Amino acid sequence: MAPKPSAKGKPSSGGDSKKSGKPLSSSSKVNKKNVKRPPPKEVKAKARTEPSQLKKTKKREYTEAELGIPELNAITPVGVVKPKGKKKGKTFVDDRDGVATIIAMVNAEKEGQIESKMMKARQLEELRELRKKETEARQAEKKKKLDATKDSIRNKKKPGSENTARSGGSDSKSKGDSKSKGKRKSVSFA
Amino acid sequence: MRQLTEEESKSVFSKLAVYCGRSLNNLVTASDGEGEQYVFRLHGSRVYYLRLSIANWATSVPRANLLSLGVCIGKLTKTGKFRVHITALDVIAPHARYKVWIKENGLLPFLYGGNVVKAHVGRWSEDIPEHSGVVVFDSSDTPVGFGVVAKSTTELRRVEPTAIAVFRQADTGEFLREEDSLFTT
Repeated sequence: MAPKPSAKGKPSSGGDSKKSGKPLSSSSKVNKKNVKRPPPKEVKAKARTEPSQLKKTKKREYTEAELGIPELNAITPVGVVKPKGKKKGKTFVDDRDGVATIIAMVNAEKEGQIESKMMKARQLEELRELRKKETEARQAEKKKKLDATKDSIRNKKKPGSENTARSGGSDSKSKGDSKSKGKRKSVSFA
Repeated sequence: MRQLTEEESKSVFSKLAVYCGRSLNNLVTASDGEGEQYVFRLHGSRVYYLRLSIANWATSVPRANLLSLGVCIGKLTKTGKFRVHITALDVIAPHARYKVWIKENGLLPFLYGGNVVKAHVGRWSEDIPEHSGVVVFDSSDTPVGFGVVAKSTTELRRVEPTAIAVFRQADTGEFLREEDSLFTT
């Protein structure tokens, strides 16, 4: 029985058998399998260089607040950081109502200031009045005291003059006074 | 030329409120016979007070070519504060909160840039708190400037006649003295 030419003619099968060193029967089986199944080919749906493949998948970015990192000395001062998502540019106030509200606000503020100033002035005025009254009262008291002492001195003198002991002296004094008055030099111009 | 922003208008009105009373509101709501509205506009750093129709017409003039419009009431400094000019006197005077009338003999010293001394004061509004803004009038009731009182009316009664009653901030003499710089931008 001669072997089948098909089986013999296949160089690959022979080579395989030699390399593997397996019996022929087994190699023929492998051959059969090989014939049946085509060698697997890599099928690429999309090329690697295609733009959709090249695009990186967006990774989630964490904000500083989410990470919970302790705050460091930031380079940008707090005041400079502008709120995100806010519209740039100026917001104008042109409608009457807007202006009127601003004026009302300003007026209220100003009136409050004036009111407080007036209150302060009034309080100061009151204080000043009180102080004035106090000084007046003190002065009146002083005067009263002085008058009282004067009176007491006068009263003391009066009984003394009536009495004997000091009467002479007082008389002499009074005499002297009268004398001195009498002796007073008079100057006349011719 | 553009409208004022909120901060700008706040600083403008708070400065005007120093001299004007509650009737400051009339500046905006005021309308002439034709029901025309008055508005504030900023051009360069200067603030102008003008009729809305004039403001609308002025939009047709290129910004570089527009020199002035309406009545200039003052300028905004770079720090955002507002300086009232003497040109605002006609706007302020009808709405003045406190007034001071000066005598004939005190008019010239005031118009030459001096402060108002007590001896030159003819009469003043009652109950003026100290350091509040006043509009200065001459004896014929014509506004001649504005300033700030040095002392409250009650305190002023006590001081000597040579003491300063009103610190001058602007007077109509500036129209001549500051002629070169008053209207330059």
